[in-house]
Amino acid sequence: MLWEAIGFYSLALFLIFFACQTLMATNPIHSALYLVLTMIGLAGVFFNLGAHFIAGVQMIVYAGAVMVLFVMVLMLFDLKAEVRAFSRGLISGGLKVTAAAFLLGITIGSIRHSQLAAVDQPAEALPIRDFTRELGVLLYTKYLFAFEALGVLLLVVAVGVVAVSRMKGGTHAKH
Amino acid sequence: MGSDIFEISVNFVKLIAIFLLMVQIVPLLVWVERRGSAYIQNRFGPNRVGPLGLTQLLADAVKFLTKEAFVPSRGYPFIYYIAPIVAMIPAALALAAIPLSMPIKIEPFQWLGETWGPYTFLFQGYNFGIGIVFVLGVSSLAAYALLLAGYGSNNKYSLYGALRASAQTISYELAMGLSIVGVILLFNSFDFLEIIKGQEAPLHFMFLGRKIELSAWLPNWGIFYQPLGAVLLFAAMFAEANRLPFDLPEAEGELVAGYHTEYSGFKFNMFFIGEYGHMFVASALMVTFYFGGYSLYPFLTSENASQVVQPVAQLLGFNSTNAYNVMGALLLHLVFMAKVVLFLWIFIWVRWTLPRFRYDQLMDLGWRTMLPWALFNTCLTAVVILIMRHPWGS
Repeated sequence: MLWEAIGFYSLALFLIFFACQTLMATNPIHSALYLVLTMIGLAGVFFNLGAHFIAGVQMIVYAGAVMVLFVMVLMLFDLKAEVRAFSRGLISGGLKVTAAAFLLGITIGSIRHSQLAAVDQPAEALPIRDFTRELGVLLYTKYLFAFEALGVLLLVVAVGVVAVSRMKGGTHAKH
Repeated sequence: MGSDIFEISVNFVKLIAIFLLMVQIVPLLVWVERRGSAYIQNRFGPNRVGPLGLTQLLADAVKFLTKEAFVPSRGYPFIYYIAPIVAMIPAALALAAIPLSMPIKIEPFQWLGETWGPYTFLFQGYNFGIGIVFVLGVSSLAAYALLLAGYGSNNKYSLYGALRASAQTISYELAMGLSIVGVILLFNSFDFLEIIKGQEAPLHFMFLGRKIELSAWLPNWGIFYQPLGAVLLFAAMFAEANRLPFDLPEAEGELVAGYHTEYSGFKFNMFFIGEYGHMFVASALMVTFYFGGYSLYPFLTSENASQVVQPVAQLLGFNSTNAYNVMGALLLHLVFMAKVVLFLWIFIWVRWTLPRFRYDQLMDLGWRTMLPWALFNTCLTAVVILIMRHPWGS
């Protein structure tokens, strides 16, 4: 229990530090690299909670695949024009502040209204093998609709990205 | 880590020993690579320094250590320095999670006037019970070493090499992960030890819930059920380790030396160790999933290894059960290493046999050939297992 607490607090400090660095770094690639460290720290938190399988999946999917793509895309493209277009102007600034406030409101609201403290601790932790099986059974029975809906959402995003990139000649467009 | 000081210190020594095993096998592999390439190309190879050129390795090490340490002035020094370290971490972490031999059971014994209680030492760094997911997770971080090296050097050849490398690694990771799913379904576990235990049996399969034994002599190895998965995994491992025919990240003809253009001396050597470490992990995974791991079924399994070594141990003057167990585990470790060395030789053999792919061929192979076949393999395995083990649950 004590070791778990030490692990949690050190990981939490690590996470907060790198999350802040992600926001404050001026170089987009440095920012993305800090986000990678944040993702690895998050996997550590899952591991500390005993959810080894989810920690492993977090490493494979977010730290290993998604963030590599992020960093690669940032290195491939020259984003100066987009950055300037996005970071100037009162309207876009106002939108950004509004979005940040909205997100903060949702977070605080969900923390205040959640009943995490009321959840009973299971009498004994399941062995890892059964934990993974239990997870699979839950995903394919109780949460089947959410699971499938997320899959469809990802498909829509993928098709949308292809459609947008093909508009006006795509990568072969003449400026 | 352990319940008392003895167990903790053994586990600690074990971690260091496994790391050193990975580092120490690199010079030997380099020697085999150079002599092997010379053999394949009808040359002599390094044969002047020491017997068979074996001390060439020492000369190389001295050269690596005494070379000038160079830092590109326009680069990002911190990222430049951290990249070689990051290159070694994934392979070292992954290797420590793979069982290199059977767990050693130690009965209570007297030492220094105290009784040290029964222990079970795993012949691996650590065991989380989700071995496969852990290994995939840490080896997916390998792409960062290349990206950081390319970006930190701030050199266009390095950056191109890094971008090629990360695109390649991501493309083949998908096929690699999917080709392993068949094995996980077959042995019904994420744990390496359980997968190897499933292969320590005569070849058998389930037909509508009845167990049918095919042969008492053939072992129950994964290769007999998952030949397609084995081929896909091995091909994807070549791409993950950036070995020829997939060595586009460091294609000399186009990119000077790719992501490590600006690295020299010991920093370059660390990239080298990382690459060979990846080959070692890849071979160990192939052996564990498809070729029975440390067991050699009809002759040597984790059950009979301690009895097999008994005469030899008595000849050497060891007469306790603990000594038999330790020596049995060492024997199985030799079996494992023999299998791994076979695959390492195939890695080297292929490098000096096949030419390099073109980049569009590489992407085609990854996305349009290997990924569909891996998906097909997964679906087929799942359906066949569902039908054949019909009264589910046994």
